[in-house]
Amino acid sequence: MEAGLQALDYAWLVVLLPFVAAVVIAAFGRLMPLKGSEVGIAAMAIAWVTSLVIGFQTFANGPVDALEQTFWTAPVGGLTIEFGQYVDGLTAMMLVLVTTVSLLVQLYSREYMHGEDRFTYFFAMLSLFTFSMLVLVIAPNTLQAIVGWELVGVCSYLLIGYYWREKSNVDAANKAFLVTKFADIGLLVGVIVLSVGVSAHTDNVFSISETIELAMAGELSSLTVIMGCLFIFLGAVGKSGQMPLHVWLPDAMAGPTPVSALIHAATMVTAGVFFVARLYPVFIQELVVMNVIAIVGVITLFFAGFLAIVQDDIKKVLAYSTVSQLGYMMAALGVGGYTAGIFHLFTHGFFKALLFLGSGSLIHAIHSNNMSDMGGMRRYMPWTFVTFLIGSLALAGFPLTAGFFSKDEILVSAQIWADNGLAMGTWVFWLGLAGALVTTFYMARSIFLIFFGEHRGVPARPSARTVADIEAEEASGVLDPQAEGEDLAQAAHDPDTSPTTGLGGHHAPHESGWQILTALVVLAVLSFPVGLAGGFLWDEVGGSTERNFETWTATHAIEEATYPFLPGADEHSEEGGEGEHAEEEGADEGEAAGLPGGPDDVALAAGPATTVLAAESAEGEISNHVLHGAPEFHLDVFVLALIAFLAAVAGAWAIYGRGHRERDPVLHMGGLTTVLVNKYYLDDIGYRGVVVPIRDHLAPATSWSSNVVLDGIVKGVGGGVKRLANVTYHTVDQKIIDGGVNGAAFSAAWWSNKLKHLQSGDVQRYAGAMLAGVIVLVVVFAAAR
Amino acid sequence: MLNDQGWLLSLALFFPLIGAAAIVAMPSGAEQAIKRAGVLFSGITLALTVAVMVGFDYAAAGELQFETTVTWIEAIGARYHLGIDGISLPLFALTSLLTFLCAIYTTKIIPKPGKPKAFLALMMLLQVGMAGTFLAFDLVLFFVFWEVVLVPMYFMIGMWGGPRREYASVKFFLYTLFGSVFMLVAFLSIYFVATDAGIANPWDIVELSEAAGIGSYTFQTLAFLGIFLGFAIKVPVWPFHTWLPDAHTEAPTVGSVLLAGVLLKMGTYGFIRIALPILPEGALRFAPLIGVLGVIGIIYGSLACLAQTDVKRLIAFSSVGHMGFVMLGISAMNTTGIQAALYGNIAHAVVTGMLFFLAGSLHERYHTREISEIGGGMLVKMPRYGALLVFVSMASLGLPGLAGFWGEFTALWAARSPAPALAANYSGLYLGLVIFGAIGTVLTAGYFLWLIQRVGLGTPSERWADEPLSDVMTVEWVSWLPLLALILIMGIFPVIIFGVQDPAVTNLVSFFGG
Repeated sequence: MEAGLQALDYAWLVVLLPFVAAVVIAAFGRLMPLKGSEVGIAAMAIAWVTSLVIGFQTFANGPVDALEQTFWTAPVGGLTIEFGQYVDGLTAMMLVLVTTVSLLVQLYSREYMHGEDRFTYFFAMLSLFTFSMLVLVIAPNTLQAIVGWELVGVCSYLLIGYYWREKSNVDAANKAFLVTKFADIGLLVGVIVLSVGVSAHTDNVFSISETIELAMAGELSSLTVIMGCLFIFLGAVGKSGQMPLHVWLPDAMAGPTPVSALIHAATMVTAGVFFVARLYPVFIQELVVMNVIAIVGVITLFFAGFLAIVQDDIKKVLAYSTVSQLGYMMAALGVGGYTAGIFHLFTHGFFKALLFLGSGSLIHAIHSNNMSDMGGMRRYMPWTFVTFLIGSLALAGFPLTAGFFSKDEILVSAQIWADNGLAMGTWVFWLGLAGALVTTFYMARSIFLIFFGEHRGVPARPSARTVADIEAEEASGVLDPQAEGEDLAQAAHDPDTSPTTGLGGHHAPHESGWQILTALVVLAVLSFPVGLAGGFLWDEVGGSTERNFETWTATHAIEEATYPFLPGADEHSEEGGEGEHAEEEGADEGEAAGLPGGPDDVALAAGPATTVLAAESAEGEISNHVLHGAPEFHLDVFVLALIAFLAAVAGAWAIYGRGHRERDPVLHMGGLTTVLVNKYYLDDIGYRGVVVPIRDHLAPATSWSSNVVLDGIVKGVGGGVKRLANVTYHTVDQKIIDGGVNGAAFSAAWWSNKLKHLQSGDVQRYAGAMLAGVIVLVVVFAAAR
Repeated sequence: MLNDQGWLLSLALFFPLIGAAAIVAMPSGAEQAIKRAGVLFSGITLALTVAVMVGFDYAAAGELQFETTVTWIEAIGARYHLGIDGISLPLFALTSLLTFLCAIYTTKIIPKPGKPKAFLALMMLLQVGMAGTFLAFDLVLFFVFWEVVLVPMYFMIGMWGGPRREYASVKFFLYTLFGSVFMLVAFLSIYFVATDAGIANPWDIVELSEAAGIGSYTFQTLAFLGIFLGFAIKVPVWPFHTWLPDAHTEAPTVGSVLLAGVLLKMGTYGFIRIALPILPEGALRFAPLIGVLGVIGIIYGSLACLAQTDVKRLIAFSSVGHMGFVMLGISAMNTTGIQAALYGNIAHAVVTGMLFFLAGSLHERYHTREISEIGGGMLVKMPRYGALLVFVSMASLGLPGLAGFWGEFTALWAARSPAPALAANYSGLYLGLVIFGAIGTVLTAGYFLWLIQRVGLGTPSERWADEPLSDVMTVEWVSWLPLLALILIMGIFPVIIFGVQDPAVTNLVSFFGG
């Protein structure tokens, strides 16, 4: 154990505490003065402090040697099931993110969920959800990761379906579980393919560190790596809401808002990105894998953003925003931006939690999710306004906020990838920039609609509509009833903590209480420095040089990993040819058309070799190393991003600046609006193309084939035997076969008579005929022998 | 050494017969006393089983322990050869436990027409047959136990079953018997060939296994086919499953629990104990087919589940899917696969046994098992019962941390790395099996979530809104808690099963060189 890393030994405690809390709350929560919430918060607070210490120690000493420990194992024939912990900078980063958000969400929920019947259950589930995610985060092997991963899935099901009396909420929960479960086929198969590949070399087949080592050494066949990684990536596509499997994510808004915050910021959706990052040195072995990741990521980041523009429900805006941001993370990983991808994961976790909790604060106050019911809220809820604004700025990548640093770094990564002659870099750069514009636009739209203009009050409580109405609508082909159902659920279940707001619309909305505001303020404050962690301000921590997000989260494997498909792959063991490669790179860079600035640009002029490996760029030979450098300040990228930001805000101000417009232009764009409102028809395709055929056609056909076809054959054979038996009985049995057969038949007959309830007169005939058959067969066999 | 004491195992095996005799001797009117006697005798059997488990030498779980070898039918050379190893132990323990829990359950809940005396006596006879199948190491003895099981189960379904009990019971009996015939022929042919091969005790499973492949390739193929039919019907392997939904739907709760919990396991156990080691070449030839049928079963069973309207029938079809995973493990013909199959066996017994208990109790309350008639809201009416349904469903759909997951995952893993002879020729096929097997897990999740939604969630329909429905009763808690605990323990510590089996499986696989 390195000095100063003692806390890493206790990472398991961070995982265990929420589990213990969940059990204690479930068992005794109802008897406690605060209904179990105190247990959840206390446990999470200890876990949080532990995580911070682990985070600090890894930060100050990074990149650290991973601490790998096994707690127990189970032999299973040729393979071994192991549970343990694997703690390095990446783990530490996730621990800090998950526990911070979870702690604040729990504090927030004390107020938000106050008065719910199943308040205690809710807290038990929050702890269990966090526990599940942490099992994944500290997994030293892919099998433990699967366990955590699947538990996350089921917890999300239970929490999204928290208001399970409404069918629409249950539909949403089922959808979330099944869509991610579908993707989990990929995780299962991918892990199996990889681990079977590993099993040729070591017994510890699921070990992540050994898998990485073997992959880097080129010991795994190309096919194994491609298949394993692409399948695992399918799992990540589902969990991390990449298109087209993102469809569960907006519907998951049916859950209470704190759950949304937890799902979108700390647990669940981060799982896929994290897991790809965890196995990153394996993924980078094959260009095709990287390209697939980049393509899916860039499609997601670009197209999901547009969906957020046409939403009225603030939670839906944020949901599509999450999808889009997850696209950024994936795209970054797909263009070699390891640090950039997980850095965005980290910063996004904080400001997206902030935004969700902020929207919850609004919803809590006015009992509606719809921005058209809001307006002018900045006067009633100044704290919510300021914190929500900060979160939005961070999301939009406003300079000096967390999102600014991380998004900038993604664009820089893409640029460098392009410099290496890889086309996906160019795509990610430009579409990422365009996506930033879209992001800023929909957030600005939301801010203006919610907080500016005049308060539009709340319409009549939707509880006049019954569940039957909603179901009827659904049956009539409205595929996605969440929008309606949610209002109802929210109205029916939202805690009416205050009599003034409980009546809905008759009184001015007012600011939330201290527990909600504490969570908002803390997250708002965090939305700045977590961004700086990746930056240049953290040099000289603890007396040593240069500490930042990169040194924190880079593993030794990442530092050593190279792209086999880039020039220089063969010489990564410090053999000659460095100069040549540097020149090639330079030439490539010069040819990289369409990039801002080009080779004359000051920021880029430092040379591609140094850009590729910022932190250790002294030597040209490592040009095919994985990008994990600290973010460099690229003026051209900054300027472009800033222009995009200002243009989007200006556009939004022009349209929504004076509050709500009766005629929202984004809803009157003809065919484009139709496509967007229908979510590119992906939900319909999934429902009509997959769910309906399986559930309504294939399943009944299967059942029919079993009951009619297969069973028909059985019955036919039975009937045939019966006829044969009659013949046998009358001609063969009575005359030829000796008493043994008759004895058997008689004994069956005796039983039959004894138990009068049975009238199975056929049994003895069948049995007799069969026994006769056996004897005949035996005789035939003996003769043939 | 306690585990030299073969008598203890025989006592534990046959004690239920003493119980059955004692119960038969009791006056029919004393129903309470009879029910208590049922609990007592099955409890003593369980205690004897625990004694065997305590005396068992887990370090030597690969070898036969508590062995008894006595000449039985001299004329044909059949011997009373009883023993237990790491493969048999969990199944034997499971049999005793499930029977005991069923006896407890029966003290309060007994289907029409009552008659606990006959019911319990038959159950104990059934227990002897089931347990004996797992302990017999002589083919004749094995076959006798195998057939003994048929009769009591036939009467249990036929007398205490649902409206179509006669049809279902005859179908169950004959279909299984049909398979047994081929199995018997195969056994006989093995006997003759083994005699020719100079094996001293040609009925003996151990000696036959150690001989590692007797007879010609053609003989092995044909004999395997015969045995395959016998076992495949019992498992049941698609397309031989059609007796199962009928038998399960009509059987009384306890019958379903034992049917799913133990009877089906006899088939997979037979494959592992007899078919694979004695006929390794035939097994290798059939392995890809077994794998394909297994995966078809997974997909087919799950799809059929989606179309079911009767809760119990749905669970019955889910067995087809789950046993498909067990068969997939067997088809890999390696240690991991056999481990997976055996683990899946136990897990399915515990989980599906529990599901059938739940389905039975649901029927007791709603007097219907039609999903549409129940119509949701169970969590409102009976929150504990609803929570149990969710919990056990999650276990059944293979949630990690609960029992169901490990068998499925390891089966899929094993299928990716089948025995070398299979990997050489069928690598692509097995990869396809892995992928389709994984797809099956999604369909499984689908029908369980849909079941939960339609039965458990939502608000109670008008019909049940004001109906008083009692939540989980004491007798149910008592008979269910051990299973619920096992679901959790097996999920968190799979080593308790894998560890016991490991040496025995390694030993067994060495016979067919996986």
